[in-house]
Amino acid sequence: MNIISGLIQNYFYFASIVIFLIGTHVMLTHSNLIKKIMGMNIMETGIFLFVVSIGYIRGGSAPIVPIDGRGVRFINPLPSALILTGIVVGVSLTAFALSLVIELYKYYGTTDSDEIMEMRRRER
Amino acid sequence: MLDAELVKYLPVAAVLLPLVACIPLWAIEQRSAQIRDWFAISINAISLGLIVAMYPTIARGGTIFLEFPQLLPPFGISFKVDVVGFSFALIAAFVWLLCTIYSKSYMEYEPACNRYYPFLLLCLSGCLGVFLTGDLFSLFLFFELMSLASYVLVVHNQTKEALAVGYRYLMLTLVASLSLLFAIIITFEVTGSTSLVSGNYFPAASGLASITFFAFLAGFGMKMGIVPFHIWLPEAHPVAPAGASALLSGIMLKTGAYGLLRVIYQVFGMETVSGAGWQTMLLVMAGITILFGSALAIAQRGLKKRLAYSSIAQMGYILMGMALFNENGLTGDVYHVFTHALIKSTLFLCAGAIISATGKHTVDEIKGIGYRMPVTMTCFTIAALAMIGIPPLNGFVSKVFLSVGALDAGQSAYAVILVISSLMNGIYYLPIVISAFLGGEGEAIGPIKRRFGLEMAPSMMVPIVILSVAIFATGLMPEGFALQLSKAAAQLLLSS
Amino acid sequence: MNDPTVHIPVIVICTSLIGAFLAPVLGKYRPALVGLMARLIAPVNALLLVILLRYVDAGETFHYYMGGWAPPWGIALSVDYLAIYVALIIHLVSAVILLYAKDDLFGEVRGDLHRWYYTLFLLLVAAMTALAFSHDFFNIFVFTEIATIAACALIAIKPKKECIEASFKYLILSTVGSGFILLALALIYMVTGHFNLTLVAQNMGAAAEAYPLNIMVSLALLIVGFGVKSALFPLHVWLPDAHSSAPSPSSAVLSGLVVKIYAVVLIRIILTVFGGEVLAAAPIADMILIIASVAIIAGSLFALAQTDIKLLLAFSTVAQVGYIYMGISLLSETGTMGGLVHIFNHALMKTLLFLAAGAIIHQTGLRKISDLDGIAKRMPITMAVFSVGALSMVGIPGFNGFISKMYLATGAFDAGKPVFILVILMSSLLNGLYYLPIVVRAFLGTNAEEGKFAKDELPLSMTFPLVILGLACIYFGLLPGSLLELVRKAAHYLIAV
Repeated sequence: MNIISGLIQNYFYFASIVIFLIGTHVMLTHSNLIKKIMGMNIMETGIFLFVVSIGYIRGGSAPIVPIDGRGVRFINPLPSALILTGIVVGVSLTAFALSLVIELYKYYGTTDSDEIMEMRRRER
Repeated sequence: MLDAELVKYLPVAAVLLPLVACIPLWAIEQRSAQIRDWFAISINAISLGLIVAMYPTIARGGTIFLEFPQLLPPFGISFKVDVVGFSFALIAAFVWLLCTIYSKSYMEYEPACNRYYPFLLLCLSGCLGVFLTGDLFSLFLFFELMSLASYVLVVHNQTKEALAVGYRYLMLTLVASLSLLFAIIITFEVTGSTSLVSGNYFPAASGLASITFFAFLAGFGMKMGIVPFHIWLPEAHPVAPAGASALLSGIMLKTGAYGLLRVIYQVFGMETVSGAGWQTMLLVMAGITILFGSALAIAQRGLKKRLAYSSIAQMGYILMGMALFNENGLTGDVYHVFTHALIKSTLFLCAGAIISATGKHTVDEIKGIGYRMPVTMTCFTIAALAMIGIPPLNGFVSKVFLSVGALDAGQSAYAVILVISSLMNGIYYLPIVISAFLGGEGEAIGPIKRRFGLEMAPSMMVPIVILSVAIFATGLMPEGFALQLSKAAAQLLLSS
Repeated sequence: MNDPTVHIPVIVICTSLIGAFLAPVLGKYRPALVGLMARLIAPVNALLLVILLRYVDAGETFHYYMGGWAPPWGIALSVDYLAIYVALIIHLVSAVILLYAKDDLFGEVRGDLHRWYYTLFLLLVAAMTALAFSHDFFNIFVFTEIATIAACALIAIKPKKECIEASFKYLILSTVGSGFILLALALIYMVTGHFNLTLVAQNMGAAAEAYPLNIMVSLALLIVGFGVKSALFPLHVWLPDAHSSAPSPSSAVLSGLVVKIYAVVLIRIILTVFGGEVLAAAPIADMILIIASVAIIAGSLFALAQTDIKLLLAFSTVAQVGYIYMGISLLSETGTMGGLVHIFNHALMKTLLFLAAGAIIHQTGLRKISDLDGIAKRMPITMAVFSVGALSMVGIPGFNGFISKMYLATGAFDAGKPVFILVILMSSLLNGLYYLPIVVRAFLGTNAEEGKFAKDELPLSMTFPLVILGLACIYFGLLPGSLLELVRKAAHYLIAV
């Protein structure tokens, strides 16, 4: 019961890990290259969600200091700030991966990694 | 009398000179083959001279020691010469010089001489290094240099057969050197030093000690050609050019014997070796090696191959001598190093002369060769008789010492093995000699290649004759120079 | 803090970064100058690092705070012996590779892409240097990503389909690795509240007690994440294709440097941040030790089966990475020294071998080992240098590979695990089995077609770096004293914590 109540209370952690696992699974098992890249993004989203939720405090507001500056609970801004960097990194990775897929499509005429493997085997 | 400070640098100079001389040699050989040969010969001669120059110090019972701790930490490199190392180095450099002179004419019509001479020098450097260093690690270093350089000599002809044999040689060498390295690391960690002087023995038998001992045995035994480790030897020695085969069989096998002597007497100590039952094992291995080598030698038809198997048997003698643990046995052991170096190189050089003059490789094809090549066959006969152990020749002296040693040790069975092996030596050497002189006048051989009107070029004949004379001389002067060195070496090892 | 020397780490990272961004612009107007700039940056930075080393030697190691902001707010760089040692290796080896790249690139990369090649190379160097110095989890993550993208692009820049495919595979697996690393960082941040390594380490004990699961999971994620990136067996699947298909200078930098930097970062994190208590709670070190042994043997066995020379070298890297992990996870002083010194020695050897293999391919187009019969007649210097590298790999005394094997073996003994000496010796033998036949074949193999093997040496700009590397292999094999001194200090830094 302890575990279940823990999971229910921390549902956001649970959800982010589930998203992470889905993404990783898609990335490693799907043969379609585009799907792999989508998996990559899903996986990253899961992590981002996880990191941001670490810094979240129930009832907290965005860390902008009000005029009087009293009695307001802020959420931890550091994870959110860092995830901004993480998103940038993720976008550049995605862009790079997509450009590689375009190149591969030029050479092989397909975006399916199994078919590419098959073609390479025949070439040998 | 040389200045004591200068004497300290003699071993380093003797070892490094051939190593460094490879660079000018390489430059020279691009220009002229003639100068190359003479350059290599003179480097050899200088090395021999440097070793001889150590004699006064050694004769006084002194040792020469010099170390370079800053090289290759944590071990450092050190040179230490005592009478054991000196004896081995002396005979090595002497035979090496003669073989290089012999190679000058022998290699004249062979390809790739520009590779042969530098590697001959590298090998010499490694070989002398093994004999003149003062700790196991430096010994290993030069051992490795010698093994790798000798690979190039083995595959010199670059035939498919040579390359296949060479590959096996290379891999077994690698196995040997790795097991040596393993043993040396353990020795270093257990005793705190790899020095051969300190006299701190390996603590008595434990699991680790026996693993270490067997690693040493496998490493040095591989080089020496003791029976379970001999597989590369009978193939690798015959494929090399004659000069190199003579050195491989005559000298380089002895590096294994030398290492094993040091390990038994100075790393483990006699008590440990006999206490753990390794002495008996070594003796049994020696007996098997002697009988096995001789028996297979009888079965060989190829001349050089027969000589190679005979080398295995002779290394069995040397292993036996060192496992007897008494003064007579050990004297015979060191003396047999001299004996075998002289005899086996004579035999290989003669075989080379026959092959290059007639192109015949097998024992059956050279009937009556004694009429065509009288000098060669006379020298061959002398060496063969010495190998059998006929009295006035030096082989007899070493056999006497070994037999007496075996009896002293209460191992009379091994004296019997020696006698049997002498008989077997007779069985495989005498037919060659008899058929050479009594098997007709050599009609089957066809015309031989004569050079300068002689049966072989003078620079080939001179080394062979010198070696045969040395066989006679050491045999006729039983209390001579070689025996004194051997006795001193035996006493040194036993007292350590 | 007034001495300008303290700023050297930042200067070194920034010059490479700025150089990377200048390269395409410069290349548009003055193409000849791009290569020159790249070739200047690395040695100058190496020189600066030597000055920094002197400074640290005279005083002590310190933490550099970017802009003077102390943590937990500012970004910290750790200027210790390990970082300087690794950074020095990176710059020295890249300097040599860049020298070689000048002529080699013409055969492998389209002319108008050369300037971008230098961009990527300098970016990679900057990222690796930053990884060596970083004292901050988030920077480690960011620079890991930069290094990954730069490394993938360095492979994909060669217009061949194998390269694109290998690069894609590398990218996907690396991204999984980065995902793991980021998740691990989040878990650590969750329980310690810091990203700075020192502060995390201070809070680690309490956190490990309160939330042991978080710490263990993050440790596992870190090992897998960095394990993928540093090709720790069995996570090495991307490496052989990537390293063998890339342009030769890229192969050299990837095999020689990149994989090891990740190993260093992982080991630094495990030993200095997690520390003894966590390591005592779970047999992490022993696990890595066993994985490393398997890597050493399996990598060598795979290499034995290869017929393509660059593939063989790539598989050999898998084995060599195992050495580094093994040395450090032995947790004895000599073992750690062996692992660290192998980073340098392997960087020299593998760079040398890849560049020599590249030279052969550049000159003859031959990649199959069986085609290399008698190649030494045509390219004597290249093959002589290749032999030096091969002998060094086998661990013949007198070459630098022997030194690392020596230290690894004594380290295994010191750690009371002599079994691992056997692993090292085994792998030496296997190395011999696959390296020596190439050398033998090249020098002694007979090739009937004389015309095919007319003497045809490389241009000087390619021979020179090869010879330098070869001489370095011999020099550090005979006189490793000063190198070992530095390595000893680096090892003390790791073990003392």
